Amino acid sequence: MIYKETGQYKSSYKSDHAIFPLLQDKIAFSTLMFIAFLIIPFVINSYWEKAILVPFLIFSLAAIGLNILTGYCGQVSLGTGGFMAVGAFSTYKIMTYFPDMNIMIIILISGLITAAVGIIFGLPSLRIKGFYLAVATLASQFFLVWLFNKVPWFYNYSDTGQITVSERTMFGIPVTGAEAPSYATYLFCLVLVVLLSFAAKNLIRSKMGRSWMAIRDMDIAAEIIGVPPLKTKLSAFAISSFYIGVAGALYFAVFLGAIEVTESFDIMTISFPVLFMIIIGGLGSMLGSFLGAAFVVTLPIGLKFLMVDMVGLSAVTAKHFEITIWGLLMIVFLIVEPHGLARLWSIAKEKLRRWPFPY
Amino acid sequence: MSLEDLKKIPYGKTAIELKNISLAFGGVKALTDVSFDVKKGEVFAIIGPNGAGKSSMLNVINGFYKPTSGTINFAGTDRNEMEPELAAKSGIARTFQNIALFKGMSTLDNLMTGRLLKQKQNFIMQALYFGPVAKEEEEHRERVERVIDFLDLQSIRRTPVGSLPYGLQKRVELGRALAMEPEILLLDEPMAGMNVEEKQDMSRFVLTVNNELKTTIVLIEHDMGVVMDISDRIVVLDYGKKIGSGLPKEIRNNKAVIDAYLGVSDD
Repeated sequence: MIYKETGQYKSSYKSDHAIFPLLQDKIAFSTLMFIAFLIIPFVINSYWEKAILVPFLIFSLAAIGLNILTGYCGQVSLGTGGFMAVGAFSTYKIMTYFPDMNIMIIILISGLITAAVGIIFGLPSLRIKGFYLAVATLASQFFLVWLFNKVPWFYNYSDTGQITVSERTMFGIPVTGAEAPSYATYLFCLVLVVLLSFAAKNLIRSKMGRSWMAIRDMDIAAEIIGVPPLKTKLSAFAISSFYIGVAGALYFAVFLGAIEVTESFDIMTISFPVLFMIIIGGLGSMLGSFLGAAFVVTLPIGLKFLMVDMVGLSAVTAKHFEITIWGLLMIVFLIVEPHGLARLWSIAKEKLRRWPFPY
Repeated sequence: MSLEDLKKIPYGKTAIELKNISLAFGGVKALTDVSFDVKKGEVFAIIGPNGAGKSSMLNVINGFYKPTSGTINFAGTDRNEMEPELAAKSGIARTFQNIALFKGMSTLDNLMTGRLLKQKQNFIMQALYFGPVAKEEEEHRERVERVIDFLDLQSIRRTPVGSLPYGLQKRVELGRALAMEPEILLLDEPMAGMNVEEKQDMSRFVLTVNNELKTTIVLIEHDMGVVMDISDRIVVLDYGKKIGSGLPKEIRNNKAVIDAYLGVSDD
């Protein structure tokens, strides 16, 4: 009874095709936006910013990017870390060459550069599928990280090979660098994530998204109805890489401030966790990208709290347990709910619709 | 050749002419020197025993296979090969013998994919989703809703097609082809595996499409009752060769066709 759609009649195709067709969804979304924009910025502290909210937002963006490619277009990719590194290093280089450019514009340009790189590494996708493509994208991961490590031009010939962000402001308030206040970095990420999420959702519910899904589900039939496979796959690579590039730029400029490429964009720290996010969250679901990112970001914190603070294990032992639990969770999800948290949510919605009646 | 050329051809005149088409995969000859023509606005059936090369013929027409030799005259222009995308653009739609739907998408989205070629807005506009894009979406949605009404698919609009029963999936696939508003509709065994009622429904749909929309229909079917009832002309293939062609009643009495289906008697 809570989630019933009875009585909500749609009188136009437009209202039927809306992002939130149900009144309940509209209310829930508005409440969430209200809390995110008007309450959290006033109560946020450094711990919430650095440990939970900002990484959640950044990884949501990366997860949306990978979900576009893997969940919607069916092209498996393990190169997320490499592409995020492209975004980060583009931001760094643009920052050094154009000291006066607005940080928002720098980040969007970094996204575009990553999109171009994504197209190049997407070219093999016309010939190879599935596992083989995953391995090809894995090559891009190793190649890109190697490149940023090996060519000193990328890190401006610094001795450590580290890149460090300089301070940039939006409306006079610093959003990057050590001086940036928590609410500013949080709001900066939030605005980008909200805008780009809507853009992604719009793409998915219009022509582009249907072309991607057609290629994912049956590429031969897609060709018959006039979907060009190469163009469609490359567009998925480009747009996915754009999102991942922006996520990488934020990860470097807003979140970490200083990075070392082999450490920060490793396959184990980025590529696999982002893949876990979309598998746990739900392949081919926008909501899933957020749920997955939230789950992956908060689980280690929750586990640490449980094992170290409550039970009193040593930090190292807890870390080992954490890795084991990760593996276990992946297997459980793949077997029990391959469609992820998003599916669990839709089952819950179905239950709420009927509640308190059994059917 | 283009959609416009095809539209200009008067009904009853040749729309596609296949001249001496041969198709070989290595040493296997799928088609040998097959010629026939399809007239605009007719229901044209390709029949023959299993492995006769019927599906290969359809694949040649819509560009999946390139014929080893021979030419296709499409709407007055000769060409020896097609591209699937070009075929789609020039108004050829098809369904498959083994259903080739997009299983993860809803019925509505499957049908909407049939409109992809006609949607012109670029991706930046799509991402912003305002004015023209929204209008275009609604326009195409309306077209698709007509197909949904016609094929009685209203109740399964939001159902992922992977979970639909076989007969309905066949119908959705026909719907997707119809959503393309094709001039020529290629149907590869549209009634395979259906019960009598479903076959009757499907035959009615095919005939209505042919009568009302004047769509040319090229169909492969094994159910002789259906073929003899609904088709205007028939071509018969056996082992990749054409063994007969003509009106249904001529085919019924054709010695070579009867031999191919029933075997040759010894005496």
